[in-house]
Order: sequence, then C-alpha cells, then structure tokens
Amino acid sequence: MIETQTLHKDYLLPLLRKLGKQYRLVGPVRNRFGDTLYIEIPDLDRVDIDLKQQPQNSLKSFFFPQTEALSSYIVDTEPASPTQLYSFHPLLPENRPTLYFGVRSCDLFAVLYMDMIFLGGKHRDIYYEQRRRGAVFVTLGCNEPFANCFCNATKNGPFLEFGFDLQLTDLGPAKNSYFVEAGKANGLNILKKWTRFFTDATKEDRQFQYQAALEARGLFRQLVHVDLACQELEKGNEPEEVLADFSQRCQDCGGCTFICPTCTCFSITDHQAKDQGSGERIRSWDGCTFAGFTRMAGDHNPIDLRRHRIRKRFFHKLKHDVQKHGRPSCVGCGRCVDMCFGGVDIIRFINAITEAGDLGRDKHRGL
Amino acid sequence: MDYDSYPSCSLDARRQAQAGRDNIYLPDQAVIRKIIRENSLVNTYELTLVDELANHRFSFEPGQFMMISMPHLGEAPISFSSSPDSKDGFSLTIRNSGRLTAAVQKLRPGDIIGVRGPYGRSFPTDRLKGKNLLFIAGGIGLAPLRPLIEQRLAQPDETGSLTLFYGSRTPEDFCFNRDFSRWRQDGLDLRLTVDQAAEEWNGPVGLVTGLLDGFPINDGTMALVCGPGIMIRFVLEQLQAMGMEAENIITTLERHMKCGVGICGHCHMEEKLVCIDGPVFTAAEIPDPENP
Amino acid sequence: MAGLATTFGSGAMTNTINELEEAQVILVSGSNTTATHPQVARRIFDAVDKGAKLIVIDPRKTKIARRAHIHLQIRPGTDIPLLNAIMRCILDENLIDDLFIEMRTENYLAMCDLLLQVDLNQAAEITGVAADDIAQAARMYARAQRSTICYCLGVTQHVCGTANVKSYANLAMLTGHVEQEFTGVDPLRGQYNVQGACDMGALPGVFSGYQAVADPEIRKKFEEAWNCSLPADPGLTVVEMTHGGEDEGRLKAMFIMGENPMLSDPVLNRVRTSLHGLDFLVVSDIFLTETAALADVVLPAACFAEKTGTVTNSERRVQLSHKAVEPPGEARADDWIIQEISTRMGYPMQYESTREIMEEICLLTPIYGGIYHDRLHASWGLQWPCLDRGHPGTPFLHKYSFARGFGRFEPERHVPPAEPATTEFPFVLITGRRYHQYHTGTMSRRSATLKRERGTPLLDMHPEDARRLGLKDGCRIRVRSRRGSVPFTLHLSSHMDRGELFCDFHFHESPTNVLTLANSDPVAKCPEYKCCAVTVEVDHD
Repeated sequence: MIETQTLHKDYLLPLLRKLGKQYRLVGPVRNRFGDTLYIEIPDLDRVDIDLKQQPQNSLKSFFFPQTEALSSYIVDTEPASPTQLYSFHPLLPENRPTLYFGVRSCDLFAVLYMDMIFLGGKHRDIYYEQRRRGAVFVTLGCNEPFANCFCNATKNGPFLEFGFDLQLTDLGPAKNSYFVEAGKANGLNILKKWTRFFTDATKEDRQFQYQAALEARGLFRQLVHVDLACQELEKGNEPEEVLADFSQRCQDCGGCTFICPTCTCFSITDHQAKDQGSGERIRSWDGCTFAGFTRMAGDHNPIDLRRHRIRKRFFHKLKHDVQKHGRPSCVGCGRCVDMCFGGVDIIRFINAITEAGDLGRDKHRGL
Repeated sequence: MDYDSYPSCSLDARRQAQAGRDNIYLPDQAVIRKIIRENSLVNTYELTLVDELANHRFSFEPGQFMMISMPHLGEAPISFSSSPDSKDGFSLTIRNSGRLTAAVQKLRPGDIIGVRGPYGRSFPTDRLKGKNLLFIAGGIGLAPLRPLIEQRLAQPDETGSLTLFYGSRTPEDFCFNRDFSRWRQDGLDLRLTVDQAAEEWNGPVGLVTGLLDGFPINDGTMALVCGPGIMIRFVLEQLQAMGMEAENIITTLERHMKCGVGICGHCHMEEKLVCIDGPVFTAAEIPDPENP
Repeated sequence: MAGLATTFGSGAMTNTINELEEAQVILVSGSNTTATHPQVARRIFDAVDKGAKLIVIDPRKTKIARRAHIHLQIRPGTDIPLLNAIMRCILDENLIDDLFIEMRTENYLAMCDLLLQVDLNQAAEITGVAADDIAQAARMYARAQRSTICYCLGVTQHVCGTANVKSYANLAMLTGHVEQEFTGVDPLRGQYNVQGACDMGALPGVFSGYQAVADPEIRKKFEEAWNCSLPADPGLTVVEMTHGGEDEGRLKAMFIMGENPMLSDPVLNRVRTSLHGLDFLVVSDIFLTETAALADVVLPAACFAEKTGTVTNSERRVQLSHKAVEPPGEARADDWIIQEISTRMGYPMQYESTREIMEEICLLTPIYGGIYHDRLHASWGLQWPCLDRGHPGTPFLHKYSFARGFGRFEPERHVPPAEPATTEFPFVLITGRRYHQYHTGTMSRRSATLKRERGTPLLDMHPEDARRLGLKDGCRIRVRSRRGSVPFTLHLSSHMDRGELFCDFHFHESPTNVLTLANSDPVAKCPEYKCCAVTVEVDHD
C-alpha cells in the first residue's frame, strides 16, 4: 500500500536534498541562540534542523508577511499641469513552489484557516494566493505535546486526519524511522518518485502509529475545555468579570495577535517616498486589541474600551467563527500563553468561562 | 466545515486570474468631472473612470460604496450618492472629517483619485418596489439614501408613497437642497427639521425623531434610515416602538475599513463584517443595536 | 540612587523582579507601573491574585492604583509627611522590628525623636489622605512577613527626591522588611540599560561600580589600568551641563550620546541657550533628534539590534544581547565611536571585541568581577554583585548585612514643593509617560501603530475643574507656567484629583519641559519634574 510507508531517519536529509531541487524548503531550524523557528533553508548542511521543539513562529508570515508592498503609486505634481495625476502599479510577490516540512498539526490547520479567509470569500486575495499556490506540506505529528499545547481541545491535533500532503510520525528510538502517510496527490507523488527512500509500512508500524497518536492525547499538560467555552458563549453568557479583570492586565502590546497563527487582520497604509511624488501602499499585520483598529475619522470609536477589544478578539475566535465556520479558529498552539506578559491568554479566558459556567450550573442546582 | 476543500478546489481556475486583472487591492483611476458644494464641510464629487471600457461596464446598486484613495493618505469607504441609472459616471458625497477627506476637499475638477469597488450589500431594491417608503436621514446620512430616492422617483408605477424626514444641525447644513423642489414635484413628501434654528427658518426645530410622532405606519411601510450612529439607534428604537417590524426597517452603517471586501477584519461587528454582510442591514440583522 | 546608597550602601533594586510574586504586601509609590513597567505590573497582578495586598501611593488614580486595596492619593510632593505618619503609626502600635533595628541599623534614636514629633492629623492635612487610611496602610505594611516597596520617578523627581527615598528606606528598616528574599526596597529603572549606564560610572562622582572618583586608592587603580592621570574632582550632572553650569560659559564642548535634552530637560529655553553657547557640540544618536539638529557633528549610531553588548536591567541583571542585523549606512556601534574618537584624539583604544571590554570591566569593577561574556551565553544573565567567575550572582541584596555595614536611619522632614500653586497659577502640573509613547518620541513616534494609538499630546484634568473653567473634552488649550507656555489637547479624566494636571513629554510640538522648573534635589540633582505651578487657558491660535 503506497499511501503508508516508513522513512528511516537517516534518509530524511537525503530526501530533503532531493526535494530541495524541486522546491524551496522551509522547516524548523534551531539558531545559534537556541531558538527554533520555521525559516527558509537555502543550504541544508548549514542549519540545525530541529524536530524536537515547537517552533516559536507559525507559518503565517510565509503566506501573509508582517509587511508587504501591495502596489506602488505615482503622483504627478508638476507645476505645469494643474491637475493631479495619480496611478497605481501592482507589486505581486513571486510564486515559489515551497515544501514546508516538520510542520506541526496546529500550524497546518492555521494555514487551512487562512486559506478560507484569504481565498474562500467572494473576493480572493491574490497576494496570498501567489505565495500559497504550489505549497506542499510535510507535517510531523506530536508524540509529546509541548507545555502550553491544547490542540486536542481545539480538535486539530496532535495528529491530523487531512490537510497534509505527507504526515510523519516518529516511530520511536527502536525503529529510528518515521511512519509516513500520504494525504494528497503531491504527497503521493513524492512517495512514488522517491521510492528508494521509503519502505512499505508493516502492520506493526501502523499499530505503533495508532498507539502513539492515542498516547499523545493523554500527554497534554493543559486541561482546556474549548468546546464548553464555545457553548457558554453561544448561550450568550458574557463573562463580564473576566473581561474586566483581563482589561486591567492587558498591556495593549498586540503580541497575542501577532504570534497567533490564525489572527489575520491587517492594515493598509501609504508610505510616501522621499521624492514626494511616489510611494508604496503597504499591508501590515494589525491587531483588534489596539484602540486605533476601529477608530474612525473624527475620533469616533465604536469599540473603545479595552474590555471590548479583548472581548472582540476572544469572541472572534471562540464564538463568531463558530457561528460562521462551524468551529473555533483557535488551533491550540499555546503560543499566546508564552507571549502574553499580562496573563491575558486564551487558556486563562477559556478556563475562566468554563469555571464560571460550572459554578453557574452548580448554583442553579442549589449546590 | 471542511477547511481542506479551500486550498485545492479551484487553484487551476484561479491561476488564470492572477495575471493582475483580479487584484482586489489595486485602485482604478477616476477623474473628477464636477464638484458640487453641499455645505461648509461636504462636497459631492461627480466621477468617471479613466478607463473607458471599465467605465462602460461600471454599475452599482443603491447602498453600495467605493474605497477611495488619496495620495499618501490611504483609503476610505464612501457611499454612492447618485442614481444608479445615471449613464455618466457616479457621485460620491464626502464630508471633511479626517486627514484623507480634508485632502479631498482641496481637489479640483480634472484631478484623479483612486477608486475600488463597488463593494457591499445594497438596499433590497426588489423588496422596496411598490412599498410606502419612509426615508429618515440626518446630515450627510442622506447621501447613501439618495440613489434609492432617485431610483424610486424614476419608477413611479412601481412605487408607493415616498416620505423623507431630514434633519440637520442648521438650515445651512442640509445636503442636496438643489434636489428638494424637484423631489417634491415628483411626489416626495419632504419634511425638514434643524437642531438649531436660524432667523429665516420657519420649519420645525428638534431631532428628526420628533417628526415621527403620528406618522401612519401600515403593513406596506418600509423605513430607510441613515445618519449618525446615535441617531440611527434612537430612530430604530422609536420605529419599533411604533409597531414596525424590524425586518421592514433598513439602515446602513459606517465602520473603519481597510480592504472593503471582507478580509482585513477592521469592520467586524460581532459575527458580521460591515463591508460584506452590510453596510445595509435590517434592524433585525444588526448584531449590536446599541452601537450602530 | 543617592538615597538608597546613603541608607543601605547600594543604590539598586534589593530584590529580583520575580520575587514580587511571593510578597504578601506590595507598596507601590510614584509609579504608573502598568504603563511604565508592564513586566513588573504583571508580577504585582499575579501576587495580588495569590492573595497579596497592594498599597499604592500616587496623586493619580492610575490603573495600578485602581486595583489597590488601599490607594493613598497624596498631594504631589508630600511623600515624607505621609511616610513619617505611617512610621509613627507603626511605632504607636508597636509593630517595629526591634531585633532587626538592634542588629542591623544605626541612628534609630534620631529617627525615633523625629517620629515622636509627628502629628497624624497634621500629616493628613498636608498629604490630603485621611488619617484612618494612613493607619490602615501602616498596619498592612508592618504586619506582613514579606512586604516590598517599589518606587519610581514619582518619588525621585522632586526637590526632596533623595530625602523621599531615604524615607522609604527608613520605613523598610523600621519594620525589618529588607535584607531578605521577597522583601526590600526596589527602585524601578525606566530606561533600557539606565542601570547599566549608572553601573559603568555614567554619573559625575564615580567610576564603574560606584567607586568614588574622590578616593585616591580607587583613582590609582584606574590610572594604572588606563595608563593616564585622572581628575580627582567629580564632574557635572546633566542639568548642570545643559543649564550652562554654575558659571555660564564654563562648558566649551559637549558630546551627547543617545539623549535628547532639547525635549527631556527642564526649562528648555535655558537648555537651548546653553547648547547654542557651546563652541562645539557632538551628538551621537540613532535618529536626528531635536538635540542632534543643533550639533556641529552628528554621529549616526547603531541601535540595540545592530550591536553586541550587555544590558543591565532594574534588578541588576546583566544580560548579553547579540547583534541581529548590520547597522544601516554609516551608522556605527557606540564602542566603535568611542574608540575611534579616543584614538584620533591621541589615546589609542583598540579593543578587538565587546568581550575584551567586558574583561576590563570585570578587572576593575568588583561588583561586575565575574560577569564575563561567556557566562552570559544562553542564560538569563547574572545579577550583580557577582565577584568572580565562581560567583552565582546575587538575587537579593544585603543578605546578612547591609553593603555599608549597618543600615542607617536618615530622619527627614517635609520639604514643600519648590513651586506651590498660587492664585495666578492655580494648578499643580505632574509630568510623566503615556503607555504608547516613549520618552521624547525619537523612537516610538516612528511607529504608525503607536501613533494611531496615541498621536497627540494630552493634558489630563478633572472634569469638575474643566466645568468650572468652561473647557470641553478635546478642546485646544494652553498651559502656562512662569517659564513659558505649551499647547495641549484637553483630556478629561476623573482619575485626576481636583487642582492637579498631568501631561506627557513625548511630543516636540508640546515641549512640556518649557513649563517645568530647574529646581532640583541637592544631592542627586534630579529636577522636580513632578510638580510645578501652572494655569490653563483656551488656545486661540
């Protein structure tokens, strides 16, 4: 059965080297300061590929960079011509077929969410599409979830059922190889094209993979009832006290929205060139936790208080996206937990809601 | 929901589109043909697209908006204020309320601005045919209602009674007053009110909600409301208190927007996006009625 | 700095920031912690969540004050009478730590003499805080096992700044709330590496590690190491320099690195005169600041991400920061600039790397004795004192004994603000920072997002004061002091007390320090930024 193979760990690098001729490679690399990040890998021999740690960034910036020029514009202000001439010229990114490997389940799932936002509507975002087209994902299931992970609760991990081109599962030290599943045509093509690196998976391998996926679910250190929180919010319960407490703690840094793999809000601003007569229209990440995010001309702000802004972000993830898309848009990666120095993270929020909900029910029952 | 269906489903079809024709962020050029001064802060700009073919194809529905670009100042959403059936271009009515709109005020005929659109959900024009329409507007809020008024006046056979309650701060602040006598001739019942009376003013003084007292509401009545957020809130409350169904009250909202097409997230209003789910909403659809 | 140095013998946070989480009572004074030290505020919140009590002393209802169990909303500049009253209550209720006072301190009797003269009702009148609240705060602070004091510029930027600090130290010693883990007196430093700059002797009277210039032994050590002779007299403080020194025109040339006195120093008109009066001005900065615009020579400097070196934070933690990107254009790292200038002026300096500079610091600075670059790699750094390679660093100071031997009580009496409100200037103006901007805005005002969050200079006023003056929220006003006037946009805030105003100093279009006065603390020379008399009028321009 070609869809399930094993790949000896010794062959990972040689396989990547072959794939690197066809694709630009992006994967988790540990830098000299000990931080692991997904980065573009121009030379496999000069980086320390790290499949042990959770990368600190997500794949967001590869498809939706922190800042990018959408277009340039020219304004003709010659004194000879009294009229203002004004024209725009697109600056489309290059399409570079890319293979993303060592991608964690949460991060792939976040890309699928971004696909829906940028490509799923009536108007498609061709800047995103240029970067997204031809991307191949080789994911790595998480046998051991990291400290703040709760993708079991958001139901998109630690192993995936779909979405990947290839999914790897570490078969442990004895086997020293990966179990490889093909989820899509691109993955299958890799298995077919590079058969000599792969071995047919045995029944035992399949059982081991199944066991690892099962055991991983028991290794989460965070107990987070995302579904219950969504239900509470769906019922219209507004956790006023939690939001008031959080608004005092929130330091308005926007870090949560920037680190979040599914925060896709952005701003568009013009950057005037030094010569006055031209400039670039820049898209950059933005965050709904900023007051300026919703402020209109004339200083009117429909969402003014910090409490409302924090509410907006959590509700978007846990209520509005459930209403619109049928599931929360938090992927349980836990990055905001590490990022926030005010303790205004989504785990705290979810726990606060579910605890309040439990208490509420208990009171109702007269306990 | 199946996230998985999105990336792969029609990438091939999209491939053709990426040549640049399909770039939602790229403004078209529009030239200002005429500028009409409405009051000290508001002008109406008559525009045509520079590209003749695009201009020929261009059409919009009442209630929709354009994203307009000004050099170095970015973009802002502006509602159409002209009749959608007009053959020569379109009008945008713009109030000086920030850096971008202040720069717009300095423009002259012949100048070029950037425009993207039309965007947004329009008024339900089919549903409005044959109904008794009550328009309620405050200040520049008449601008997005004007295309609808013009459209209905142009189709008298398919139109019930038309009433417009229009309030402004002072008598000098009314927009479109050059249209008033024509509209009245064509059968619009127009009543004006001001917050602050002036010497030559002999009409009513007070909020536009004051005009509503005793207005006959029947099954065929639909209300169309636009103005400052606080006014929309009170008018909506009063109309419902007078017995109107929320589905028959329609308004159009304003929010900060960057993309205009449902991606950037700025105009989120609970689960809705004002740019694509609105800006036109019935009173029943507004997710946050206390903060329109 | 000077206050803690006299009482404890060392002028820095006595604890580690993380220790705050374990404190039982936290007394925050003159610090808008959530806005200026968010990382500290976060620990305070966590401590409060765990059951700690929070006392805040501040003239404004800041965010942290609104979360406090007791907020002592004092009139600006009345810390000393408040603290003396608190200590009097502690004395009256016999909550002092006899053993600690006996074993570890000196000059207690003088302290006692002063406290016995304190009249609680009089103190309540001066400070504007109810006597009951003072007593309650005293009980709360003194009765806990682990109480910590955090203070910031609201305490130090007064004519009596040093005396204020001494009073906080007195309070801590009286109750034995120092010399232990989780309890002490912690000044919060406001700038990236300002602690490091002080540690390295960027003060007029000391070499690195607070070694006195006046001490011949120490001077000899540095002279031998540097192979040159060094002056025995202390130099001038910043304001002495930017205000032309004691006798006008003594200063001929200045080299200003990374500072913008043309916005940050008091009485800006005098600063301008002084800088114009120089024969030669060199400014090294990452951007062309208001000060750099006046310079004869501007040296483009590398920013933090463009150079390698150590940074010392409030809790005395020395951390290594690596160059992430190359400096743009002709910009150079500070050490390169200093070495080149020195070399070209005839004293060759050729350090091959910042590592070599650090080795010299270790050699000459006892408290930095063991802080070598290699020990800082892939770690959270080391806290000084760290005496040698084997030393693990010091999380909290004064264990077993104060750095100066005995902690010394320094009784202080109320020093009224230099410029009280009058009929002509009926408001007291407090200056400080806003969350979204930083200092003179040279860096933070380049960010569009920060500009969007806070793009205009505001003046906070109590709504009732505004109603009395017929001023509306958002209107343009002008604030006038005896020294000049500055325009602002009015912001009504019930977090202010009546008769008091607050504004920031981030915006060059509203140069707040035109208003402030040059009167400064006699020891630390820190100007009284926190208190000057002003009037407010509608801006007709």
